[in-house]
Amino acid sequence: MKFVVVVLVAFLSACSFQPYQSMDHMQQSSESLALLPNWYHERLGLQLNGGNEYPEQQALATLLQQADLEFIRGNFQACQILLERAQRISTREPSVYVRLSYLFWLNDNVDSAEQMARRALALVVRDEQATEEVKRLLYTIQANRY
Amino acid sequence: MNKMTNSRVKTFFSWALKLSLVGIVVLAILLAYLDAKVRDKFEGKRWALPAKVFARPLELYPGLALKPKYLIQELEQIGYHRVPSVVTPGQYSFDGQEMDIFRRYVTLYDGDEISARIHIRFSGGAIDGLWLDGQPVPLARLEPLLIGGIYPKHNEDRQLIQLSDAPSLLLKTLVAVEDRDFYDHFGISIKGIARALVVNVQRGGLVQGGSTLTQQLVKNFFLTRERTLVRKATEALMALLVEFHYSKEDILEAYLNEVYLGQSGRRAIHGFGLASQFYFGKHISRLTPPEIATLVGMVKGPSVYNPKRKPENAMARRNVVLGVMNEQGLISDYELAVWEKRELDVVQYSQYQRIEYPAFLDLVRRQLRSDYADSDLTSEGLRIYTSLDPIVQRSAEDAMSKRLAALESGYRMPQDSLQGAMVIAGTESGEVEAVVGDRNPRFFGFNRALDANRSIGSLAKPAVYLTALRQPEFNLITPLDDSEIKIAGANGNIWQPQNYDKESHGVVPLYQAMATSLNQATARLGLLVGLKNVVQTFYDLGVDKDVPEYPSIVLGAFEMNPFDVAQMYQTIAASGFKTPLKAIRGVTTADGQLLSRYGYDVKQTIKTEPIYLLQKIMQRVVQEGTARYLNSQFDEGLNLAGKTGTSDSQRDSWFAGFSGDKLAVVWVGRDDNESMPLTGASGALRVWAQTFKDLPLKPLFPLPTENIVEEWVNVAENAISSEECEGAVQLPFIEGRLPLHTQSCVVEQATDKPWWSRLFN
Repeated sequence: MKFVVVVLVAFLSACSFQPYQSMDHMQQSSESLALLPNWYHERLGLQLNGGNEYPEQQALATLLQQADLEFIRGNFQACQILLERAQRISTREPSVYVRLSYLFWLNDNVDSAEQMARRALALVVRDEQATEEVKRLLYTIQANRY
Repeated sequence: MNKMTNSRVKTFFSWALKLSLVGIVVLAILLAYLDAKVRDKFEGKRWALPAKVFARPLELYPGLALKPKYLIQELEQIGYHRVPSVVTPGQYSFDGQEMDIFRRYVTLYDGDEISARIHIRFSGGAIDGLWLDGQPVPLARLEPLLIGGIYPKHNEDRQLIQLSDAPSLLLKTLVAVEDRDFYDHFGISIKGIARALVVNVQRGGLVQGGSTLTQQLVKNFFLTRERTLVRKATEALMALLVEFHYSKEDILEAYLNEVYLGQSGRRAIHGFGLASQFYFGKHISRLTPPEIATLVGMVKGPSVYNPKRKPENAMARRNVVLGVMNEQGLISDYELAVWEKRELDVVQYSQYQRIEYPAFLDLVRRQLRSDYADSDLTSEGLRIYTSLDPIVQRSAEDAMSKRLAALESGYRMPQDSLQGAMVIAGTESGEVEAVVGDRNPRFFGFNRALDANRSIGSLAKPAVYLTALRQPEFNLITPLDDSEIKIAGANGNIWQPQNYDKESHGVVPLYQAMATSLNQATARLGLLVGLKNVVQTFYDLGVDKDVPEYPSIVLGAFEMNPFDVAQMYQTIAASGFKTPLKAIRGVTTADGQLLSRYGYDVKQTIKTEPIYLLQKIMQRVVQEGTARYLNSQFDEGLNLAGKTGTSDSQRDSWFAGFSGDKLAVVWVGRDDNESMPLTGASGALRVWAQTFKDLPLKPLFPLPTENIVEEWVNVAENAISSEECEGAVQLPFIEGRLPLHTQSCVVEQATDKPWWSRLFN
């Protein structure tokens, strides 16, 4: 019976389109993601909950989607490179900076995470809700809670 | 008598034996030394491979502002051929509105792009639709332009190949022309020397050399070109040693990679691999027989038979080689007859026939220095991916050389007396897109963009006004005194700045003092806000050199180079977020392994609110101030911002300006530091305008924060007013820093009502 389970798990792992990730890392990511503000998920954030919005511009949206995918796979460097490509297309897209902020945060680079969040904050000024949420993200990073 | 003779003979033989023994020992030592030298070279790394430096890959997507002519320019530069209909990678077609590009396989630091057909539809100077292999796609990348290399001492460049890459016809032709006994001799060929002698005597000149391929390789690898017996003997010995240790195939492969085949500027073209790309724009495996003949013919004299520079010589030599090929049965009589008449077909453009960008390459090299040793950069074949935009770079180069010539002629200055430099960067990303370090953009030498430290003049003023706007006492309409001012220096000298028009302007609002670049008002303001604070603002803006606390710094009486000025203005253009200017995105090994990446980095060093106000003033500089020339050249909707600068005695002409996406700093001056009849507005500003005249720019919208309020004010009264009051204008203020007074006004009845309205009233 034990052998069957091991074989089954191995088979399912092999069928998964995502590369193998350690449970620790997956757990850390999902916990951190759950702690992110709603607005992050709904307006700017990762497309984990379904139905979230990407920017209208297709090139930008595609790069953000690919960045999110790499993020979920744990390929942080690939994710960052895609976000920087997105930034070159739309230098004032706040969601790029929010994602970068989160990326640095997960990599324990709190200073850069804070600066990216500040950059995002400067760009969402016309959106009150977004401003509140980025501020919350900024406070959270500053408090270094996670 | 006999005894004497015998004794002499004995002595002679004795000495001969001793000398022979010494000779043998010396020869053995020499052989051991040469052997070590040969093995060290062959078994170690044989060639230093220069790093290859690439521009940014052009990212195509619907909505991208890109005129077809610029895309064609880039495609031609990266070696694409225009054809009526694309069939193989490296071709493109264009019918005036739609373009097909058959992209080659692209290797980048962040992954590869497969070979594919890209279809682009243009509309109104922008990409309107994009397809990849027939499917609509949101984005596609082109291969980046190879913009130069970081070469070892003798600027040797090569593209390594393996023996199996070379067509067998090339090998056979090379052997037939250069060394027919290659597979039979042991490094030197007596037969070859004798044959060469006979041929040379018969033809009455030096037609054939007696050196074997092995000797030629040894000469190139280890020895100088001097013609002495000692050198020849050493060459022969080393050739024997090479043959003793290594196979014929090893030797031939080394020869194919080593041989010198011409010059491209400072770059020496070595090896058949690079030569086939450089002269024919193709991989060595795809060379045609006449192309093989051309290249093999060049071995005899790469300069004399250079097909680009001396096509007639090259064609004659090629036909000689074709004749040899025919003699040896490698090609038929019919093929010989046809190919002898064929053109040389060298390519005008190819990735390997590149234009180099010395000033930008210099920046790349300096920025890599902190992470890589020079020897790594010149020998490991690294691939360096940069942010250079060839379209922007070309526009900057053209503008600099043409405008400087026009200025010299317009102001009756001696020809070539002016010099210039320019740095262009993305405002948010901080990525350097273009660098010009000399009016001759191909000049490898003094890089003014990085090394010309000159007085920045009024380019310093934004730092003074920003210092004021960071303090609660100041707003845009704070009245400033533009009367004469005298300041005594520590050494007893009196500093008495004057305005450009030599006039005093009385009391002027803060924003106007900067828009019109008033020196007296700025000097007073600098003293008022405190020199220490002004210096701190310079540092916060990204100036990383010592700024002295002298009063004259407020008018820019200290030196900076254009690159450092660009760093300072980047912080202003990016709303107070300083991003270190960088030219490199990533570095990989020769086989594509990512070694290092230089990602986006940012730090907020100035609060957004004062920067917002400063940007507003800098927009006024363009709308109505010293840079208003731009208003006549560009769409007002771009809301460009900038600052002109002219140093003391008009020795330096500066302009720093930015749109929503690009920042450029231009310096114009003379190398001998003499004065010119030019100001920032009549010199550098014109170069800036010409650079961007035809390039797409994004409009600049300063970023307000929740602390910014728009208020109607009376500027003359320094008071809050209302929309209806005469002379009221709406200006932005930081919350809580509004004028203290309020202007009351009687609202007059409007007199411009229609006549029927007045009638019924």
